[in-house]
Amino acid sequence: MSVALATAGTFPASAAAGPHRHVRTAALMGTVASVHVLTDHADPEPTLTARIAAAQTAALDELHELDALFSPFRADSQISRLRDGTLRRADSDPQILEVSEACVCLAGESDGRFDANQQGWFDPTGYVKGWAVERAAARHLAPLFGESGVVAAGLSAGGDMQLLTAPGADWAWTVGIADPRRPGELRAQLPLREGAVATSGPSERGAHIVDPRTGLAVADAPTATVIAARLSDADAWATVAVIAGFDDLSWLRGAPDTSGMIIAADGRIRRWMHGVEVAAAPEAPLWGW
Amino acid sequence: MKKIVYAVLGTLTGLVLLFSYRTSLEVVAPAAAGTPTTTSTTGSGSTPAGSGSATSSGTGTSTGSGTSSGSATSSSGSATSSASSTTASGLKDGTFTGQAVDTRYGAVQVAITISGGQITDVSVPQYPNTERRDEEINAQAIPILISETTSAQSAQIDMVSGATFTSDGYTQSLQSAIDQAKA
Repeated sequence: MSVALATAGTFPASAAAGPHRHVRTAALMGTVASVHVLTDHADPEPTLTARIAAAQTAALDELHELDALFSPFRADSQISRLRDGTLRRADSDPQILEVSEACVCLAGESDGRFDANQQGWFDPTGYVKGWAVERAAARHLAPLFGESGVVAAGLSAGGDMQLLTAPGADWAWTVGIADPRRPGELRAQLPLREGAVATSGPSERGAHIVDPRTGLAVADAPTATVIAARLSDADAWATVAVIAGFDDLSWLRGAPDTSGMIIAADGRIRRWMHGVEVAAAPEAPLWGW
Repeated sequence: MKKIVYAVLGTLTGLVLLFSYRTSLEVVAPAAAGTPTTTSTTGSGSTPAGSGSATSSGTGTSTGSGTSSGSATSSSGSATSSASSTTASGLKDGTFTGQAVDTRYGAVQVAITISGGQITDVSVPQYPNTERRDEEINAQAIPILISETTSAQSAQIDMVSGATFTSDGYTQSLQSAIDQAKA
């Protein structure tokens, strides 16, 4: 299936004609999370409206709870207590162990470009947001598709999102990808029925992106957008892509199930689909080795 | 370094898929300036136009100067547009489907749509059966560049992906506008 492409100015009426949208937002994890649920009628039954509101609340509550568990910025979080030695790993929450194991796997798959122990203690901040959003969406939004009239649901936190669509629904999300060089503008758009999109880069938060292999800040860090089935993967690989830099896509060998785009600090762009770079080039030969 | 460079287009320009096996993915698309290509395509109505003036960058983007007009592409078959003009980027408007090529993932076939000199859509009419639930999304999902000369309207965007904004920055963000407009 090919999704119809929306280009600027061609069908501004799509939002009005589309499904009705129920939106909730909450400030958490140092950013803002948005949860969208789409219904095919503007005024669903009150019971469905209540069911949607409850699911949205539950999803945002779960993000709050996971933040309380994982945030290194809260002295009483388990991550902080592990760091300070007041909590033994064996006594920590099972979700901490789950994330810890995932981070170990990712360190191997990324050849060390991702390292949750970079600072000498376990800090999975670079992994947890995507993992938590994926988990909250699966646990609280996916079950909404058991209700008649729910078309799609999506959860985004600070530009990283897990998007779901009801089986058989005539719907595809249109994801705008921010232009890192022009605040408030978009550089690309992406039709997506189901899956996750994460973008990592130096903009806005301004934090230095440190290559765990060298301990040094990445110079001229690019901005990378990764599409994958699960946000934990998309988010982690977007981080890896930024650390690898614009010229190095060799990490795709470890992430063949991703698609995406990377924008260099000077504006150059590379894109890949399912782990394969896609490029336009004049005079391409029929076969080349 | 073994790589397969797969040409899709039969015109001056081509969409190439750059595969890498055990070696590096840091490859550039080869250029053979001035030589008419004999690349096979299932499309018709697209003839090589003039001599190659565009240069190969291999960086995956073609920033044509034209504006991009919306066009939905069908994922099957042949070129669907012949009212084409070759723009500064050297890309000819239309939808083009390449031959299937065998890869380690199985047979892969790609179709692209060019409008205003830019690749506006990429679809995969044929992709290996992977028995993955999300096969559909990954087979189709590639960011489509928005022309430099047009800016997207938030009305048609459902969510915005970008480097993480702060909670302060959110209030001025496009995502905030979408959340409010569609709430």
